[in-house]
Amino acid sequence: MPVYDALLDSPIRHVLARHEQGAVLAADGFARVTGRPGVCMATSGPGATNLVTGIANAFMDSVPVVAITGQVPTPVMGTDAFQEVDIFGITMPIVKHSFLIRRAEDIPRIIGEAFHIATEGRPGPVLVDLPKDVANTMTSVPPIFEMKSPDLGRPDPEQLALACKLLQEAERPVLYAGGGVGMARAVDAFREFAEASCIPVVTTLKGIGAVPTRHADYLGMLGMHGNLAANKAVQASDLLICVGARFDDRATGRLDGFAPGAKVIHMDADPSEISKLRFADAGLLGDLRVTLSSLPTDLSIEPWRAWCAERKTDHAWRYDAPGEGVYMPDMLRRITEADPEMTIACDVGQHQMWVAQHCHFQRPEQHLTSAGLGTMGFGIPAGIGALLADPGGRVLTVTGDGSIMMNLQELQTIRRYDLPLKMLLVDNASLGMVRQWQELFHEERYSEVDLSDNPDFVEVARSFGIEAFRVTRRDQVDAAIKRLLAAEGAILAHVCIDPKTNVWPLVPPGETNDVMLEGMSA
Amino acid sequence: MNHTMTLTIQRVEGALIRALGLIERRGFAVTSIDASADEAAQQMKLTIQVCSPGRSVDVLARQIEKLFDVRSVAHVRTNEPAVQLEESMAC
Repeated sequence: MPVYDALLDSPIRHVLARHEQGAVLAADGFARVTGRPGVCMATSGPGATNLVTGIANAFMDSVPVVAITGQVPTPVMGTDAFQEVDIFGITMPIVKHSFLIRRAEDIPRIIGEAFHIATEGRPGPVLVDLPKDVANTMTSVPPIFEMKSPDLGRPDPEQLALACKLLQEAERPVLYAGGGVGMARAVDAFREFAEASCIPVVTTLKGIGAVPTRHADYLGMLGMHGNLAANKAVQASDLLICVGARFDDRATGRLDGFAPGAKVIHMDADPSEISKLRFADAGLLGDLRVTLSSLPTDLSIEPWRAWCAERKTDHAWRYDAPGEGVYMPDMLRRITEADPEMTIACDVGQHQMWVAQHCHFQRPEQHLTSAGLGTMGFGIPAGIGALLADPGGRVLTVTGDGSIMMNLQELQTIRRYDLPLKMLLVDNASLGMVRQWQELFHEERYSEVDLSDNPDFVEVARSFGIEAFRVTRRDQVDAAIKRLLAAEGAILAHVCIDPKTNVWPLVPPGETNDVMLEGMSA
Repeated sequence: MNHTMTLTIQRVEGALIRALGLIERRGFAVTSIDASADEAAQQMKLTIQVCSPGRSVDVLARQIEKLFDVRSVAHVRTNEPAVQLEESMAC
């Protein structure tokens, strides 16, 4: 209450979300687009616990978020007071750091530290818990708004020399780029190195856009739903140059069979990632920009580059799916061909993988996706955050009929602030990714995945005052894309697809990335 | 495998539970703790024995070092044969 009272006289712009999870995920989306911390606030008790999923989402994807929670007055803390929860304790495993402020004079220092910690090194969420009596106390301590610029330092010279030697000896190197490239604002340095060395590039889900997805040496995303060319190149490589990635299980498949013949150079801002899951023959800590510019680029890898290019041609995506229904991979590809600069915020599930596989991106901050936590409900709030960060920008949320229901209330936030968010709702009347796994790995025993009793999403959107229309046939797709892209205000395209459509290819759980199931259905 | 680590942590709210919670969450079991306070420096020194499930204790040390209230971490020795651990589920 005291904070919201003070906000009335403050120049700080406040945006009221309709659920605290919507607020924290919008702050996350804002931070992903700008690289600056997103800030959210919630009241004590249920308000604070509703932030938990979003804080975990920011933690898993290394996104700078400052979450400020109200707390009951300090004299009653620990007495099970009304709306008291130990949010400081609850969030401990999912924050980069957290503070519980017990004295008003500490507020300026702690807020300054919170912003500094959220952004320095490997970014992450910071929680500040503020008891009501502390918030009600006047202090004459001046505010601290100065943020030190983080100095990540240079890699160890011995490790750097080792990395240079490994590079010069390599015959089949692959650049494996993760979200760290974008988070460290190292995209230019990464591209300069990739261009000069001509090393084929694969990315993780969060690394997409490290090089433009149309780049000749870009092989695609690796991993469970990666491109076959990307996985084959990694598996055949003799040197894996990991840049700001963390050998996540969705990227590596069975770890002991991942890139089995490769030595590893691992560059990261976080020392605890080096050799966490895969031994690094050379571990390069520090600023990715400095490290990348210190590596040799005069390599002799033409035969390998040609081999990778052949794999890329062999395994190029196909869009000639049979049938009259909407083939979503093709629709998504065509949307980004029509507007290559658009930011896309994804929800989680099959449509998320289709975006990663088929959309074109020029840079990482164009692709907002909940990678580590896989938070259904991320798409609409993240799209809101992206529009708040760049009010003149064009933002498309791609969501599913399962995901949209998890933060549907934020349609009202879009309406209230007149945010021109474009929404593509991919409706397969089921929890599609779970359905796919039950089909493939549980003998078609479908358990709790049917959503055929969904509401009429067009009517739902209209009831929020948002323009909406439905697409059910392939011959409607061209007009739908035009209408979606031309809309000046918020708009929702409800696209019904075949519930049996699967995401291909697929590395089955527990297998190495050599084992990729292929198929096409539409 | 049992390891002995020494930690120096700042005596601020949450620092102790943050460090111990991290050790368990990363899959290690704490088998003994010895703690002493340095009042003047507002610090606490912990000598902790952990039982490893086969993961790298050096990576664990780097994960602990990242905590903002931790001033230093040292992995002082590896004990063999393993200390008996009857009740922990972690190993």
